[in-house]
Order: sequence, then structure tokens, then C-alpha cells
Amino acid sequence: MNAIETKDLTKKYKTKTAVDALNLTVNEGELFSLLGVNGAGKTTTIRMLSCLSTPTSGEAYVNGKSCKDEKDEIKKIIGISPQDTAVADNLTVRENLDFMASVYYTDKAVINEKVDDIIRIFNLSEVENQKAKTLSGGWKRKLSIAMALISEPKVLFLDEPTLGLDVLARRELWHAIESLKGKMTIILTTHYMEEAEHLSDRIAIMISGKIKACGTVADLEELSGKKGLEEAFVAIAERGMSEDE
Amino acid sequence: MNKIKAFSTRNRKEILRDPLSYIFCLAFPLVMLIIMTVVNSSIPKQAGMTVFRIDNLSAGIAVFGQTFVMLFTALTVTKDRSGSFLVRMYATPMKSTDFTIGYILPMIIISFFQSIIIYIASFIISIITDVDLNIGGMLLSIITLIPSAIMFICFGLLFGTLFNEKSAPGLCSIIISLSSFLGCIFFDADATGGAMLKICKALPFYYCTKSARSCVKLDFSSSTFIIPIIIVIVCATVLGILSSAVFKSKMKADLS
Repeated sequence: MNAIETKDLTKKYKTKTAVDALNLTVNEGELFSLLGVNGAGKTTTIRMLSCLSTPTSGEAYVNGKSCKDEKDEIKKIIGISPQDTAVADNLTVRENLDFMASVYYTDKAVINEKVDDIIRIFNLSEVENQKAKTLSGGWKRKLSIAMALISEPKVLFLDEPTLGLDVLARRELWHAIESLKGKMTIILTTHYMEEAEHLSDRIAIMISGKIKACGTVADLEELSGKKGLEEAFVAIAERGMSEDE
Repeated sequence: MNKIKAFSTRNRKEILRDPLSYIFCLAFPLVMLIIMTVVNSSIPKQAGMTVFRIDNLSAGIAVFGQTFVMLFTALTVTKDRSGSFLVRMYATPMKSTDFTIGYILPMIIISFFQSIIIYIASFIISIITDVDLNIGGMLLSIITLIPSAIMFICFGLLFGTLFNEKSAPGLCSIIISLSSFLGCIFFDADATGGAMLKICKALPFYYCTKSARSCVKLDFSSSTFIIPIIIVIVCATVLGILSSAVFKSKMKADLS
């Protein structure tokens, strides 16, 4: 079974088409990146797949469940870390995790176990009693991803997880994301080439709401005739934009 | 049920850890209680003006305090909506009713304890100023203030859902001013009569203060307590349904 499958998935806002007849398949356990410039439709795609936005037309399935008709079922098996760090500012790191765990589980012992596990996995113990508003950007992002993972989702959506972070914080977050590879399906949006290259099993390049190319870094290099993901991306993006014009 | 409990605990902690909530919801009403007591001491007995006497003032200030709980409800909702926090929560199995009850419940508890503190301060003032204040009446009033607390909280939820971080507090300020003045907290409309009294009676705030004051005095007659409290309960119910429906509709629109 595919973790993600879309068939002509489209999202229109009045006159603007944010996502245009997207056909996408993501395998179970894969780390799949959506790469594109600002306004390419990456976040809109993630929003539709995580049931935060209703498609204008087309179909989307997460673990075989329809994003139109089985939203409640999908919400039980996904985790999302939005672009902005969506944490409760006045709660400590532990309380934020406890709060998210309490949304999914009822047994206090299970909740405590989940919180302890995620604090250990993400090395959050040194800040666990610190209020979220006092954390640095890197720690906040880590907490945001940890909150998305507390329910042990089958599919994790990471919307530009390292946006605005310094290089060290970014590298640390990469390690955290890498440690999740294979344990769940991860859909990552980014416009950092090195991030997509470093983390992804496969990459889709989105331009103006359409996927212009999809495959491994080697596939994209071969398709564009360029060496390196950045060069391949630029070639594919420029070709894609001229086609649209 | 676990979702409501988790979300209301989060909201309670968020508000109780914000120093501004203590300044507005507690310190300011208490300061007003003291100031108006001082004003009352300056009014000659012959004037026959008793609106600032502690047996009248205590319930009025308790209602006044609730208006700031409304403000903080609106601020909490707008803050959650303006960031990505609600987006994250929308992607969880939480339903719109989990959100609305989760917002309303902790505010009722905060308002409940706010009333207790205001009545304790009022009791101390009553001893200092040598005015009889019925303890039983105050205890009962803490309970009968709950419908008006729900009404104000639902106003806050409504404004927080419909407006942004800049306009929602502004609208709450209008309600605070209207309820202070036309709710007869700092003004005796019954003594004034005429068009002013008619305007006051056309708004729910008058009945919040009237029922709370009557309860403190253990006056449970139909015109001073029963009818006003029924009006407050009806308004609280209508606003509760309205704010929940608006939140649900807004959530649906956000997810469209």
C-alpha cells in the first residue's frame, strides 16, 4: 500500500491555482521531499494531505484513506509540524508534550511513557522544564517536531522544518529527522537544496503548483543533464517556468 | 473528554502564567473596589446615593472583573488563531466542541475564583467601613454569577473567533465600557429612570449586576432576582450556542 497517493489533486483560490492536477505516489517508510520556490504549492499540498484544506478537485489518499471522506481516520495516523513553530508558549517543554499526548491517549501511565520516550529520543531533557517561549529557534523546532511525533504517526508532515535556523541548529535537526527514517513515512517541504539532498529518498520539484520532476537526486541530475541538485533544480525550474509561459 | 481536559488545562496554564491576566482580572477590579469605597466615603449621607456602598459595589465589581475574563478569552483565541497553534490542533482528532468547551471551561473556573477573591476583599472593606455584608449572600452570589461569567466568556470567544488580535481587544473594550456604565456597576440607573433606564434594561449587563446585587442582599424576589437571573441565563445560553456555532463555522471555513 502506498502511504500517499494523489490523483489530479487540485486546489484553486478564486483565480489562482495553487496546486494543479497533482499526481503523486509516496511509498511507505519513504522520506519524500517537496522542493520548490516560494508559492510553488508545497504547503498547500501538505495542507490537503493533512486534511487542513479541502481539494477543489481530484483525490488524495493517506495510507489508503480518502482525504475527502475519511478525515477523522486520517487525523489519527498523521502528525504535522507546521511552518511556524506551533507550540504553547507559556507551557514547559514537558507540558507541551504532555498536552499533545493527552489529546491522543487517556491512560496517564501511557502518556508519561510517551513523553519520557520522546524527551529521550530528541535529547530534550536539558530544556524539559523550560517554558517554550524562552527556547531558541532550534529547540522550538525540535519541540514542534517532537509534538508531532508523540502520537506515533504513520505519516509525518514537516513543513519547512529548518526555516530560519542557523547552520548548527539545522544540522542537529537533520540528525533528528534522519533518526526517524524508515520508521514512518515523512513528507518534507523545503527550499534548501542541501537539506532535500541530505535527507530525502526521493524529491519532487514543484513549480507553479505542478510537479515538474520526481525521483532520486541521480534521477533529477540525469533528467536535467546537470551535476548537483541545485543545478538540476535550477534547470528543471527554468524549463518548467518557460513551459508554463 | 480527554481532549477537552487536555485543551482546557493548556488554556488555564497559558492564562494563569501571564502576569497581565492578574493585573487586569484581579488587581484592577480590586483597585476599583478600593477607589469607589473611598469615593463612597466622600459622598454625604443626605445625597442618598448608595451605588458605591460595599453591599452594592461588591457584586458590581465581581461583574466588572468578569468583563476582563472576556478580554483574556478573546486574546487567547486570537493568539491561537494568528499563529499556527490551531492549525496543528485542527490536524488532530479534536472536534470543534472540544475547542469551544476547552476555551470556556477554564475561564469559568478562573472567573469563579476571581469572584471569591473580590468578595473576600469586599468583606474586609465592609468590616473597615462598618457596613453589613451578608456572608451567605456572597457565597450564593458566587454561584449565581456563573451564568454572567459564561455570557462574558462567550462574548470573548465570539470576538476572538471573528476578529484578529488588533480588533478583538478593541471590541472587548467597548463591551467593558458598556457593561460598566449601562450595567449600572458605577451608575444607578434605577434612581435615574427615564430613557437611560430603558436603554440599560435593553441590554443584558444590567441584569447581571442586578441579580448579583440582589443575591448578596439575600433578596430573591421576582423583579430583583428571579427575572434578572433568568434573562442572564437565557443570554448566556444564546451566546454559548452562537459562539460555538460561529467557531465551528470558522473552523470549517479555515479547513476549506
